[in-house]
Amino acid sequence: MNGGPLIVQSDKTLLLEVDHEQAEACRRDIAAFAELERAPEHIHTYRVTPLGLWNARAAGHDAEQVVDALVRHARYPVPHALLVDIAETMARYGRLTLVKHPAHGLVLESSDRAVLEEVLRSKRVQPLVGERIAGPDAADGGSVVVHPSERGQIKQVLLKLGWPAEDLAGYVDGEAHPIRLEERDAEGNAWSLRPYQEQAVEGFWHGGSGVVVLPCGAGKTLVGAGAMAKAQATTLILVTNTVSARQWKHELVRRTSLTEDEIGEYSGTKKEIRPVTIATYQVITTKRKGVYPHLELFDSRDWGLIVYDEVHLLPAPVFKFTADLQARRRLGLTATLVREDGRESDVFSLIGPKRFDAPWKEIENQGWIAPADCVEVRVSLTDSERLAYATAEPEEKYRFCATTDSKRKVTEALVRRHAGEQTLVIGQYIDQLDELGEHLGAPVIKGDTSNAQREKLFDAFRQGEIGCLVVSKVANFSVDLPEATVAIQVSGTFGSRQEEAQRLGRVLRPKADGHEARFYSVVARDTIDQDFAAHRQRFLAEQGYAYRIVDSVDLLSGRDLPPQELPGGTPGADDGAGRPGDGTGAGELSGDEG
Amino acid sequence: MSSEQNGDGPAPEEPGPEARPAPRTLAEDLRARDDAALAALLRARPDLLSPVPGDLTQLATRAGTRASVVRALEGLDRFTLQTAEALAVAPPPGAAGPTVRESLATLLPGEEAAERLPRALDELRARALVWGDGDGGGENPRLVRTARELLGSPSPTGLGPPLAEAVGTARLSPARLQEILGAAGLPATHDPVSAVSALTSLFTDPDRMSALLDGAPEGAVPLLRKLEWGPPHGTVDVANPSRPVGWLLDRALLVPAGPDGDRSESRGERADRSDSGGGTAAAGTVVLPREVALHLRGGRAHREPQPVPPAVAEERVHPPETVDAAAAGQALAALATVEELLGHWETEPPPVLRAGGLGVRDLRRAAGLLDVPEQQAAFWAELAYAAGLVASDGEVDEAYAPTPAYDDWLRAAPPERWALLATAWLAATRVAGPVGERDTKGKALAALGPGLDRGPAPDVRHRTLTLLAGLPPGTRPDRASLHERLRWERPLQAHRDPHRTGRRPADGTDRGPAPAPAPPDTPPAAEEAPVTLRDRLAHWTLEEAELLGVTGRGALASFARPLLGPTVPGERAPAAPGTAPAAAAGTHGGAAEALRNGRPREEQEAEAAEAVDRAARALAPLVPEPLTEVLLQADLTAVAPGPLERELSAFLGLMADVESKGGATVYRFTPESVRRALDAGRSAADLHSFLAGHSRTPVPQPLTYLIDDVARRHGRLRVGAASSYLRCDDDALLAGLLADRRAAPLRLRMLAPTVLASAAPPDQLLARLREMGYAPAAESAEGDVLLGRPDVRRTPPRRPPEPVPDRPPLPDAALLTAAVRAIRAGDHAATLPHKPKAPASTPPDGGLPRTVMADTLATMQSATLTGTPLWIGYVNADGAASQRVIAPVKVEGGFVTAYDHTADEVRTYPLHRITGVAEITED
Repeated sequence: MNGGPLIVQSDKTLLLEVDHEQAEACRRDIAAFAELERAPEHIHTYRVTPLGLWNARAAGHDAEQVVDALVRHARYPVPHALLVDIAETMARYGRLTLVKHPAHGLVLESSDRAVLEEVLRSKRVQPLVGERIAGPDAADGGSVVVHPSERGQIKQVLLKLGWPAEDLAGYVDGEAHPIRLEERDAEGNAWSLRPYQEQAVEGFWHGGSGVVVLPCGAGKTLVGAGAMAKAQATTLILVTNTVSARQWKHELVRRTSLTEDEIGEYSGTKKEIRPVTIATYQVITTKRKGVYPHLELFDSRDWGLIVYDEVHLLPAPVFKFTADLQARRRLGLTATLVREDGRESDVFSLIGPKRFDAPWKEIENQGWIAPADCVEVRVSLTDSERLAYATAEPEEKYRFCATTDSKRKVTEALVRRHAGEQTLVIGQYIDQLDELGEHLGAPVIKGDTSNAQREKLFDAFRQGEIGCLVVSKVANFSVDLPEATVAIQVSGTFGSRQEEAQRLGRVLRPKADGHEARFYSVVARDTIDQDFAAHRQRFLAEQGYAYRIVDSVDLLSGRDLPPQELPGGTPGADDGAGRPGDGTGAGELSGDEG
Repeated sequence: MSSEQNGDGPAPEEPGPEARPAPRTLAEDLRARDDAALAALLRARPDLLSPVPGDLTQLATRAGTRASVVRALEGLDRFTLQTAEALAVAPPPGAAGPTVRESLATLLPGEEAAERLPRALDELRARALVWGDGDGGGENPRLVRTARELLGSPSPTGLGPPLAEAVGTARLSPARLQEILGAAGLPATHDPVSAVSALTSLFTDPDRMSALLDGAPEGAVPLLRKLEWGPPHGTVDVANPSRPVGWLLDRALLVPAGPDGDRSESRGERADRSDSGGGTAAAGTVVLPREVALHLRGGRAHREPQPVPPAVAEERVHPPETVDAAAAGQALAALATVEELLGHWETEPPPVLRAGGLGVRDLRRAAGLLDVPEQQAAFWAELAYAAGLVASDGEVDEAYAPTPAYDDWLRAAPPERWALLATAWLAATRVAGPVGERDTKGKALAALGPGLDRGPAPDVRHRTLTLLAGLPPGTRPDRASLHERLRWERPLQAHRDPHRTGRRPADGTDRGPAPAPAPPDTPPAAEEAPVTLRDRLAHWTLEEAELLGVTGRGALASFARPLLGPTVPGERAPAAPGTAPAAAAGTHGGAAEALRNGRPREEQEAEAAEAVDRAARALAPLVPEPLTEVLLQADLTAVAPGPLERELSAFLGLMADVESKGGATVYRFTPESVRRALDAGRSAADLHSFLAGHSRTPVPQPLTYLIDDVARRHGRLRVGAASSYLRCDDDALLAGLLADRRAAPLRLRMLAPTVLASAAPPDQLLARLREMGYAPAAESAEGDVLLGRPDVRRTPPRRPPEPVPDRPPLPDAALLTAAVRAIRAGDHAATLPHKPKAPASTPPDGGLPRTVMADTLATMQSATLTGTPLWIGYVNADGAASQRVIAPVKVEGGFVTAYDHTADEVRTYPLHRITGVAEITED
């Protein structure tokens, strides 16, 4: 029993005591092979997974180092079974390799005959491989031809079988295209990559392919730009929507040697293919008459690098296409690698392992993203609302409680309270947003808002011409609104954890004056809304964002705020005083809606 | 092999006439030993003691019985056994020939062997396997006849019979013998006997023998070499031999294994049942005479004499602190595991199978509960059983439940609890390893069921751990070498697994860490070394020791050392030491050392208790102090960064779900878990104050809200702020209750005509009402009648299973002394009147001798030792009675094999047909 900061549990989780003096050293050592699972305030939880261990192997760590790191930092004796398991798991990596054979092309090779036999007997592997190659030393190994198009597929299958293949077949260089990062941006300000961005680019480039996880607002675009500058090759960038595509283009023109003409947009409206092409997931996955007409984009150029923005949203068809692109370098970018469909491991096996991950709070502490105050505002429904809620159809329940009048009133009060600050109101239901927009006198951006209109509004918001914007889920991702400091979430996509994180991300860009961002989640008490909210908050809570819970009554009376924050205070007080009388009116309103 | 008796070899009575009268029999040798030596013998071979023999002759007789000798041989290490094997093939000392010691030196060459030989002989003599004049049997130590038979034919060394015997079996005609003499270049002799001895002396003379073989035709010597290391039999075409074969046959370098030509001569009564190879002698079978083989081998009896015990190699050395820490961690985990298992069984006792044991499904469930493989779950169950913590409750629907001892165990401090488990494990003969395998009848062996006793288990555990203890601290042994060493210590036992039928393929895969180089189930050393019981026991020992925290990282933990006893084990269980002392001492005079340990039982027990104490004390500092604080976090988890105090962990376990176990415990608060705490009668305020009191950090706001939210809804459903309520359709009854003085402490209050509220918690209310003679029923939140938590099951007091050793218990000092005294006394009684009595009972022609069966047997057995001829009365199958003079050779299985002087051949007589015996007076 030494005084280390780490407790190794028998279920393969590692508990790291954050306040311990050796915590940082320990974190550096274990980050190589363990996944950070939760990072709340006192004890961070890492998990040792086979995937993590194999990634560590791929990055050049061996079992000895892993075991040593555990034993060195552990406070209590490390369970022997766990150490044995680690050694065994890590020994499985690299028994199979994918290599380029001078005569046969891509082959799956193994020095261990038994392993090769085992995987070749699997029904899932059989369709992916060709004939056996009888080598001179067939006795103690062997190899089998793999069709190049199945490279991704076979890696995925082998991973599931527990015999991950080491991909030594390398990458095609692609068509060369000079790209470099400018030392001064378009406005002439000197800039350079932040240290963690550098590390992320290095980590990616060293590994060849993989995913970089950075919090919202931490500058993932620049990691992409850095990777392009490394690759010096034509690049295909896949993004979530057109607005985001434009932002990418804008940022690339600003920060790199690329010019407008070198960057093409491939979206619903434009179909440009240039040395650097930015395409949306939507256009790629458009299906007409059972075929994907835009698939040729992947083959239209000899891409040297493919960047997947917001990789956690990667639509299922894109997985399939990606499987065919294993010879090209792939970079995935995301803030929240949690997929509600649980396909994280597909992301890992097809795009590549996680190459870089930084806890949100760490980036915050370094000052690269704004500190945020997360507040859950609990709204008590009026009696009539409660009755209406109780009798609503189950599938209507969430919609109803998420859009109640009481919530709207609280939201309006919050907006008023932060008057003068750039405020985003984010919601799920269009009629609710429209109503809010009307009451607040704020423009609404939703799915049917044209791209031009969206850009115009976002620009006006960035310039400070508009102080408050009501947005639907179209603004969840990849919309760069640096000056937004307050976000109010009124409803969401049920319990989506990544949505919550992404929405918080909208206000995390560091502020010019360095002040704190504020994130309100308005929740109807004692309803399913509250349950979903709890689930949504889990990711952020595990990243160390401790939600404060505030009662709407307290909030409206201004009793919740730290003193220096009070902006005048009167509107809140007024509203709070007025509230009890509103009950019947609100009930009537909700009755109309129901 | 009764050649000695039959007169064609030197007679057994032939003693070395020396100054001091040399012992003529084992009994005489024993008689000459002092009491300590006798006690040592009885200690080393406790089976001789049951029942206590009447006198030394009886003791000697019993020591010569086949079963006892086999058992004694099994207790030998490899070199001592090799010595015995060499003795069995050593030529009898002739007048001019080398002494047996000299022969042994040739048979067991090498300096180390020479150095260790005296000790090996001492050991054999201490075990009464060898007798003779003085230490180690003097110049001519003699192996007891049974041992000689067991080890001589066929010899484990792969040596064939001596030439004289081979020639005798082959029934070569005198003419043929003379031909052979001629072919071998020897002068002709007058009779077959001298011909054979001439040949023998040729074969034993290395120079002449080499010269003879140099002249062999091509192919002859390789042919001999094939048989060199045994088995000594080969098949050739005798009738029409090839040239080399003919050449060898002509010189008796190969001898036909069966009678030449005439194979159907066997009589009604087979002369010698243990005839060497005779049973397999087919037409073309030849045998390589012992002398020839020894010449080819350069005189040595064994291909590899192994006088030195193979050292246990070290595989890796960990710092001792690491080992201790790892072992202590595992020790705590073991306690937690046993507690978890029994904690589950106390509420849901698994039924006992009709044939005994735990059902497969229950075992699987336990494995799931403990999150371990089934094999391990079986181990934990067996461990708890061996420690007396769980037993069958003996009800009609029999089930396993914790015993009252379990409650005591729970109350003890962790180190004591561990020490109890460890001692129980060390001494248990039950092993969990074979669970799931099938016994000889094809029945699957169930955990806690019958058929899991393996007698040698405590001994093997002890030896294995003692070997570990012999390494420098922190050393993890190389398993292969450890197994090799254990095999060396008990080579004979290693080859015996009576319980074993087939091996499950899963056996090696479900455990066995990858770094462990050699799966012990496949011992690398030997060509066809089978997986023996001892190997498996040793393998299980290592695995289980690791699980139990006796070892850490494969090395013995320092705190486990006291359990092994000072130098030799002093377990409370009688089983372990039975063989262990000798084993602990290895080759080095184990029996003698054993005597020193013959202390009174109480002393041993006290010592064992002291050892347990010391182990517990040594473990104590390694056990982390229980914590009283946890860390609460905003993501609704609580982390206890170490073991918690019992009440604390119980409360926390009630209000939060355990998410992760190990050195620390991670709890997660969910609405359900909080509700569970509230259901258990805790109030929200209780929870708040508990958290505030035991949190190292401020209670996070979301957690406060969670508890309040749940509590608010919880209260909404039931009685608000009141602790309990009471309802009844009968107004009058409630009114009566309200008025009852005894109900005053309950502070009842009427809420509605049929409902009373009470400030007392429901359990108190219930208890009080019951005291008052009412029969209240608790209600759940739904208004159903709530059944109380099922009663915790306990068996009546139960004893842990007694170890079932496969050998008699070790006698303690008192018994030994008494036994030795009794034998002595009996011996005096038997020897003194013996001489006057002998002639009296001898009726040379006074009709059939009549004696009672016991006397018949005893006389017969002692005659086999002395080789004295006896008169017997015998009734044959037709009912005809006759008197015969026989020299008994062997008494076994109800038959006496003897050389019948009347018929002049060896015959076998059923004992029950013998009317009586009488000694022949040799006036």
